[in-house]
Amino acid sequence: MKVKDAEYSLLFKILAYVMVSIFTLVCLFPVLLIISGSLTDNETIVRNGFGLIPEKFSLDGYMYVFKYPTAILRAYGVTIFTTVVGTALGMFFITMAGFVLQRKDFKYRNQFSFYIYFTTLFGGGLVPWYIMLTKYMKLMDTYTVLIYPGLMTPFLIILMRSFIKSAIPDELVESAKIDGANDFRIYYSIVLRLSMPGIATVGLFLALQYWNDWFMSSLFINDTRKYQLQFYLYNIINTVQFIRDMAISSGVNIGNPPTEAMRMAMSVVVTGPIVFLYPFVQRYFVKGLTIGAVKG
Amino acid sequence: MKRHVKLIAVIMAVMLVLLTGCMGSGSGGNSGGNGGGSTGGGGGGESSSDSGSKTASGLDISQRVELQFYMLGDAPVDLPLIEAEINKMLIEDLNATVKFNYTTWTDWEQKYRLLLTSGQPVDLIFTAEWTQYQAYAKNGAFLALDDLLPKVAPKLYEFVPQEMWDAVRIDGKIQTVPATWKEYVTFGNVWREDLRQKYNLPIPDSLENIESYLEGIKQNEPDMIPLAANGLFHTPGYYDFKYEPAGVASYGFPYGLYIPYDDPTNVQQFWGSEQHLEDLFVMKRWMDKGYMSRNVLTTQDTAHTMLVTGKSALMMGDNPNRWNSTNQDMKSTHPDWELAYYPYPLKKGYATPVHPIHNGFAIPISSPNPERALAFYELLVTDKRYNWLTQYGIEGTHFRVSDEGYYEGLSDTFKREGMNGWAWRNPEYMLFDKSFEAVNEIFEELDKISKPDIFTGFAEDWTPYQAERAALEQVRQQYLHPLEVGLVDDVEAGLRTFMEKAKEAGLETIQKLYTEQWLNYLKEAGIQ
Repeated sequence: MKVKDAEYSLLFKILAYVMVSIFTLVCLFPVLLIISGSLTDNETIVRNGFGLIPEKFSLDGYMYVFKYPTAILRAYGVTIFTTVVGTALGMFFITMAGFVLQRKDFKYRNQFSFYIYFTTLFGGGLVPWYIMLTKYMKLMDTYTVLIYPGLMTPFLIILMRSFIKSAIPDELVESAKIDGANDFRIYYSIVLRLSMPGIATVGLFLALQYWNDWFMSSLFINDTRKYQLQFYLYNIINTVQFIRDMAISSGVNIGNPPTEAMRMAMSVVVTGPIVFLYPFVQRYFVKGLTIGAVKG
Repeated sequence: MKRHVKLIAVIMAVMLVLLTGCMGSGSGGNSGGNGGGSTGGGGGGESSSDSGSKTASGLDISQRVELQFYMLGDAPVDLPLIEAEINKMLIEDLNATVKFNYTTWTDWEQKYRLLLTSGQPVDLIFTAEWTQYQAYAKNGAFLALDDLLPKVAPKLYEFVPQEMWDAVRIDGKIQTVPATWKEYVTFGNVWREDLRQKYNLPIPDSLENIESYLEGIKQNEPDMIPLAANGLFHTPGYYDFKYEPAGVASYGFPYGLYIPYDDPTNVQQFWGSEQHLEDLFVMKRWMDKGYMSRNVLTTQDTAHTMLVTGKSALMMGDNPNRWNSTNQDMKSTHPDWELAYYPYPLKKGYATPVHPIHNGFAIPISSPNPERALAFYELLVTDKRYNWLTQYGIEGTHFRVSDEGYYEGLSDTFKREGMNGWAWRNPEYMLFDKSFEAVNEIFEELDKISKPDIFTGFAEDWTPYQAERAALEQVRQQYLHPLEVGLVDDVEAGLRTFMEKAKEAGLETIQKLYTEQWLNYLKEAGIQ
């Protein structure tokens, strides 16, 4: 019996390693192609396609990207600003909401949860939302519009609620109340400290949401200085798309469209810093994912 | 069971991974805001009482307003500079400031729709047949300018010829201000003249010559893909070359109907006909001989890129203006290469200049200052200072006029027509690059055989057959596109399958309704 088990777990290990390695390679391959493409001469890319090693080395792509460095730096600035502010504010609101929603003595917690959850199922649609943000709240072309709509993501509120529920026993809250703490004191001193892993996870989700956002810029921002980073990149790629699809029938002449090498260089510049940052924050992700696994 | 659990788990995990790879991507996250206050922002106007509160045409300008001007595409780098200069003059002339907004090319159709339908205050917006001007106008998105024009923009009203005003009428009302520069965006063949001469190949001005040229390239330059084809880019070119389909923008034939220019009431069925079969065989021959890459339907490169980098040697279906700029592009990296042009109208016997609808500016109904907006547009078109500032930039910084009167660009931060000013061009003030002379020559040739465009003025209303149209589009992508690039082995069977599926999707309904609308339009417009 014992021997069989050992054999089996060895097989499992091998299988697992092979699967994960294949998967990693498959994920890594496009990234390598992009990096190599960004360092290749554009004509070579068009004629011979992408390769793992640059056939004809050239820094043209990067030179084009950095020709107007202020634009990229600004876009970086805008995105960093919205991410930091958005995450900070958002975490503040979301943790409060999560804490309140899990309190058993909050009589209407079910109704409120349902109300929040309902918005993920049914929405008013794109046009009413657009009208509300531009006409009634007059948020066109402001930094607020980049931060505001993402602050209270229902999914994250529900997630937070679950985290806090599992991390904070009711008795703790009750005993704090007996000791004379008001709700805000409890929130600040007890809840926040104890649900740190949960906060880290949800915070990372939120930060990622803000970092990757381009949709808000596309719809609401006209001032090029307020573009978010991802939108800036997406724009450059889309010019080529437009030329490919529409320019024939429209007869529109765009002049020099961005080249392949340039688009690759752009992608590297936009995603590079995040790739470097990730190893440092990785452990929080991992910790947060397993937080519900073991009751401690 | 217990010891197999791990194995089952691994298998399930692998399957899950494979399945997610097949699913499409989800939507961007956007959830409505929650409570809270709002901060101000956006364009507002500060009212300031001003002396001299009426313009020459009697327009009341006592209140300062900010006009919101929307254009498609990307803004030039130096837009803020130009905006400041314009506003300096505009405050004096009309007691107004203008904000230039650009939609970029990302999701521009969605943005365009939102701008017009959400009631957001927009004062001026670009229109063209490819932005669905006719459909929006029919739905009442724009202000009727008939009464406004003689009142607040009399110079503009006189400047644009009466036929052009009539040509942009939808439902009898003028709903956009057309551009007056006569240009031709007719199709033509673009090929590598240096290679043609090197291998002594014929000029691709007929189908046989095109094939000889392609064959010659294939033999002598095995690394190249002779025809610059990506997706269906070459198909409208091919059809336009061989026949004279209704309207260039409809990708060949509207729903498979063939409408000859000289006899527009005679609407014939093209899809499934003998000629269609013939053409599909030609495409198959070209694919088999290797003139196109087998990945043609998924190629991401534009045909221009393929020409400029030397990957291909022939492009079908480009207009003279773009040929010229592609040629200039190519010369900057390969000075010994040369691109030549053969316009299809020379073979067809007539050329249609660009329809007035092709570039225009309209005032949406949500505009809070329509009179001021129209007066500003008049200045843009008729006042040389405004026109040159917005088309070419600041003289001395961004451009200069050479001794022969040509445009010479000085800076990348504002290129020629950097603000995408195709709509407010003024032929009297236009400056051309020296290289544009080649295009002007072609235009002069085409002028000799020019005839009016009868197709673009037609506003198709597809709401009665919307569902069928969507279904037909699916069928087309799946069955017709591979046929049209020669990827299907049995062409006859493929065409038969396509026709069956198309009929199932409702082709006959669409054709009947479209033909009715088309004949109606001909009657109303008094054509034939």
